Amino acid sequence: MTSENTLHNDELLVAGFPVRSDRYYDRDNHVWLLPMPDGRVRIGLDALNVETTGTLAGLGFLPVGSVLRRGGTYGSLEAAKYVGPLLTPISGIFAAGNEAVLAEPGLVTADPYGAGWLAELEPTDFDAELPLLLHTEAELRSWFSATVTDYRSRGLIAE
Amino acid sequence: MASSRPRLRVLDFGTVSPLRSQTLWHALGYGETGSAATLSFARPQSPYVCLGLHRNAEELDSVAVDRYQLPVYRRMVGGGPVYLDPDQLFFQISLPVSQVPPRRSQALAELLAPAVRALVRLGVPAVLDEHGEISVDGRKVCGHGAGQIEDTVLVVGNLITGFDHERAAAVLRVSSPATRAEVLRLMRRYVAATPVDPNAWRQAMVEEYAAQLGADTLPGRLDTDEQAAVHRLDALFTSAEWLQGTPRPAKPVRTIKIRAGVWVHEWDHPDACTVLSIADGKVDNVLVEPRGDRTPTPALTSLVGAAVDDARTALSAAATAPLAAALAATQPGQVSA
Repeated sequence: MTSENTLHNDELLVAGFPVRSDRYYDRDNHVWLLPMPDGRVRIGLDALNVETTGTLAGLGFLPVGSVLRRGGTYGSLEAAKYVGPLLTPISGIFAAGNEAVLAEPGLVTADPYGAGWLAELEPTDFDAELPLLLHTEAELRSWFSATVTDYRSRGLIAE
Repeated sequence: MASSRPRLRVLDFGTVSPLRSQTLWHALGYGETGSAATLSFARPQSPYVCLGLHRNAEELDSVAVDRYQLPVYRRMVGGGPVYLDPDQLFFQISLPVSQVPPRRSQALAELLAPAVRALVRLGVPAVLDEHGEISVDGRKVCGHGAGQIEDTVLVVGNLITGFDHERAAAVLRVSSPATRAEVLRLMRRYVAATPVDPNAWRQAMVEEYAAQLGADTLPGRLDTDEQAAVHRLDALFTSAEWLQGTPRPAKPVRTIKIRAGVWVHEWDHPDACTVLSIADGKVDNVLVEPRGDRTPTPALTSLVGAAVDDARTALSAAATAPLAAALAATQPGQVSA
């Protein structure tokens, strides 16, 4: 069934933020994961993460081939002169960083689910770890709206 | 009975080598003390240059750096290349990431607020301005950067008690002497020294950060893990690979930040070297140096005084699109670069 808030295929609008329902989400870090046809997974930041991060000034990635555990750091991201870690939602081998966002970090803000993707990994424990991520529309709506409500109550994002 | 209030560990590293003025506080991210908030201070014993984590080493004028015999280090926090010297008093506040708001601008505002109040207590009318800078009458008086190392968030700053504008401008790579002169002109206008008493400032900082965190202060020292981390970081920070950093594509327009909201854009192209500076949301100055007998088009000097958005629109034609793109990346309110 299509929600009345559905914008177009695979895109939900939850508490004022777009959320793509074709992918999986790390609830703690607001990072999405999209399985690719070649067996890799693509990862990026969700819209709420982008909102709280602010205007991006720079990114950096670990070398290709780096072995990552779920929750580990695959790079760094700078906004407001504040450098934070980029955390992977799944274990794997770092396969590629998005060269386009290295050249133009604003892409992440402008198109977080599309051209602003960050990295691709070759997963090493995909079947065991995928169920740890959120995916169904009900899960996404519940989790995302609760987080937005919490952030608004704390003054972290605008009403 | 022991207090149940949280503790604020206070470390004063004193005057240390340029290398240690970076690695000592970076080590706070690797300590066993973990949950303790820490406020620390250091002063470099001699001048050096420091690059932000995501900046290219090529942004520095290597000739000037060699002439002044300045060591160069790359820090793990953000911001651009900066000239540092003993007239700058460094401070660092570190907290577990769980205690820091997830919105970065808010985290910075909260963690810089005590530094502002400390200056006000000393009679300096400092504010955290709309661009996120600690400033007095629009002039930056204190630099800052922030980063997360392991599970610790560090916000670092430098109280500028004296500022060598000439050297600070000289260490930045530019294509034209006109650009360097423009950088120096704006640095003099927008970066200022605040000659406060260091001991009084340090005491005010300790009291203000303790009040902000609702904590009791506790003089301390680096723990065993932190001491070990210092030695690892010494080796890392002096390695050529770390200094070089991740290669990044060069942009057609070189942008130099004077302070948040004040920028110098240098576009070195076959017809001319064009320098366009932004301050207070407007085009502050335009300089065009033609190459040989070429005539640069279009005339850009008419943009002086124009609002940034209007200037960007005027520059959006293909011939000047790189400048328009540079302005878009440094709009009013943009604090990162």
